[in-house]
Amino acid sequence: TVMQPPTNTVEEPLDLIRLSLDERIYVKMRNDRELRGRLHAYDQHLNMILGDVEETVTTVEIDEETYEELYKSTKRNIPMLFVRGDGVVLVAPPLRVG
Amino acid sequence: MESEAAGAPASGEVVNSIRERTISENSLVVLLQGLQGRVTTVDLRDESTAQGRVLSVDAFMNVRLKDVLYQDRRGRRRQLQDLFITGRNVRYVHIPDDVDMMKTIQNQLDKIHRVRSFGSEGRKEFSKKSN
Repeated sequence: TVMQPPTNTVEEPLDLIRLSLDERIYVKMRNDRELRGRLHAYDQHLNMILGDVEETVTTVEIDEETYEELYKSTKRNIPMLFVRGDGVVLVAPPLRVG
Repeated sequence: MESEAAGAPASGEVVNSIRERTISENSLVVLLQGLQGRVTTVDLRDESTAQGRVLSVDAFMNVRLKDVLYQDRRGRRRQLQDLFITGRNVRYVHIPDDVDMMKTIQNQLDKIHRVRSFGSEGRKEFSKKSN
């Protein structure tokens, strides 16, 4: 069932996510979204529960005259979020800037 | 495609299908099932949002909400009495601040296990513990 006593060895890729439980993680999602939050729970579908989440949505606009690519990102904060696994692309420790 | 149980039981009770119960207890959807009766916001895949009271969530994450404020992806708002969201269209579910997650999950699992042991032993009145 969902709540199982943890094993200590890393046997499969999902075990790597287990190592990040209760840690802050970075999640890349489909549709140019990223999440940064604390991983409280996950399952085999990569459904996840994240706490203290910051969602970043990135859009690209093309300037009509200069054809420049303008990257815009919108952020919002959500205290506790259930994420459906089929939107998840990758899970990683938080990216460090600089 | 599996739709939510047509004879959906009253709030707080578990779905009857054994298959659905097994699927639920092996995934995080149990947490969403435990949100029955709470007001939450569901962010859909198409960028629309639905804020309302959870009537039920099935093993496939299909959600039924009532008294919904639905905002489409253009920002237009509508009030809806009843809304059914297919599991595939769910992107996020906002969990209310005061939900104790472990407790909610454990309660849902207990409900599933209680129904299972009750069913396999046949009908017993006031069966509180198994033999």
